[in-house]
Amino acid sequence: MIVQFNQVGLRYDDQPETLSDVSMTVREGDFRFLTGPSGAGKTSLLRLIYLAQRPTRGLITLFGRDVTAAPRGELPPLRRRVGVVFQDFRLLDHLTAFENVALPLKIAGVNPKRYREDVMELLTWVGLGDRMEAKPPTLSGGEKQRVAIARAVVAKPDLIIADEPTGNVDPEMGARIMRLFLELNKLGAAVLIATHDHGLVQRFKKPLFRLQSGRLSAHVPKPQERAPFYPRAAEGGAA
Amino acid sequence: MTDAVYDGEDAPRGGFGQPALLPEAGAAGAPLTAVVAVMGFLATLALAGALIVAGAAAQWTADLTGALTVQVTNGDPDEISRQTEAALRILNETPGVAKAEARDRAATAALLEPWLGSNLPDTLPVPSLIEVDLAPDAAADMALLRTRLSAAAPDASVDDHKVWNNKLLKFSTALQWTAAAVVVLVFAAMAATVVFAARAGLAANHEIVDVLHLIGAEDQFIAAQVQRHFFFLGLKGAFIGLAGAAAILYALSSGGQGGYFLPAGALTPQTWATLLIAPAAACLLTTLTARATVLKALSSRL
Repeated sequence: MIVQFNQVGLRYDDQPETLSDVSMTVREGDFRFLTGPSGAGKTSLLRLIYLAQRPTRGLITLFGRDVTAAPRGELPPLRRRVGVVFQDFRLLDHLTAFENVALPLKIAGVNPKRYREDVMELLTWVGLGDRMEAKPPTLSGGEKQRVAIARAVVAKPDLIIADEPTGNVDPEMGARIMRLFLELNKLGAAVLIATHDHGLVQRFKKPLFRLQSGRLSAHVPKPQERAPFYPRAAEGGAA
Repeated sequence: MTDAVYDGEDAPRGGFGQPALLPEAGAAGAPLTAVVAVMGFLATLALAGALIVAGAAAQWTADLTGALTVQVTNGDPDEISRQTEAALRILNETPGVAKAEARDRAATAALLEPWLGSNLPDTLPVPSLIEVDLAPDAAADMALLRTRLSAAAPDASVDDHKVWNNKLLKFSTALQWTAAAVVVLVFAAMAATVVFAARAGLAANHEIVDVLHLIGAEDQFIAAQVQRHFFFLGLKGAFIGLAGAAAILYALSSGGQGGYFLPAGALTPQTWATLLIAPAAACLLTTLTARATVLKALSSRL
């Protein structure tokens, strides 16, 4: 089990719950979309998964470890098993594209000589072979997004979380990025992609979680379906 | 694939050529370097002061410990001469006395010249001074010596310099404690400044720290980035301070017999070597304070 939420609730200060009674499971090898209107709580849900915050109530396990009350010292190794593509990229502006992508490996203590070729190859694969020494302020939105994606996948994480990963790239590059996620998924990584892009969801026909007003529902597409969303719930334990 | 190659030339460099992950870790930057330099300067001077005073006090104490002065005073110059000769006889017979020598009238008159002027009248009863060197390995019986002297030369008094020596020791000890207190206060002020700078650096870089955290960096890793920055900052500032203090000390110790202001031999090679402790301590303190500050700040995060 990669991720398991059990009756998770999240509340900011005295506000109404942003997430209510969310129960969900992401298993090894899963490829899931997360959809929902703006303000539905997608980013909050992702933040809980990549351990940016703890829930107000409920239980979250990540890689079989209860992270709801785990000591903070136990969290970094779990975080290193999750690759995150942030919606706002969160690149380090003073580092080059190469150094940004290499960051997870550097943090993991990998010798630069061992990852240099891999990072260069990955950057070339996402079309940034000639931009390795460029710093984020000089990159376009699409280029930043590709650097962010490369950084998220470079350490071959067990779980990849992407928040609108194709939002700033052209359709061809979007399809290429999705193929990268699919390849990594085939290699064993679970993938969870938050997106507004219904076309993307329809095209790849993967199970999806739908968030509406902080409540989650799960849907699995029929092979012939091409509707913008999927009517039959099929995820055990989903709200 | 492509021929594209990353040569890393554009990467920002920290110490030892590594990319600096927290470029603004020392938000104060040059001003903080200046603060460390000033603190290092003051600490080096204070340490030098303590060492010089300790060395001088030890020298003076050693000079006085093996010596006595016997003074013979009387209203009659002939009586002074007679008692001086008697005292010299007693002294030269006393075990543990290496040498006893009376100053002649001219030498004693020279000592009095600042107060009484030259050309003292022959009728003026000038006290006689006998300088006594004690053998270093044989302890003279001072009580017996005083008894015998008072019998043979009733107007003779013995000064073993203990009063002066004790006062000198107390004074030098007080000076050394004062210098130590100055060093401690300087380092405390420097540590406080580094705490503020490290916090400011973290605040300026909170987004970067967030990213590092979220992609799995341990607190130790982030602290290492900050402490490396502060280590080089501290190193630079401390040695600027050392250079300034060394220039001052060199100027004070050169230019005359033993220097214009410092005792002869005050700055030995060992003293110079010991002074390196100040910048090393400043650098170490800067680094460790920054590390502790960052670790404490990070411990409040998830």
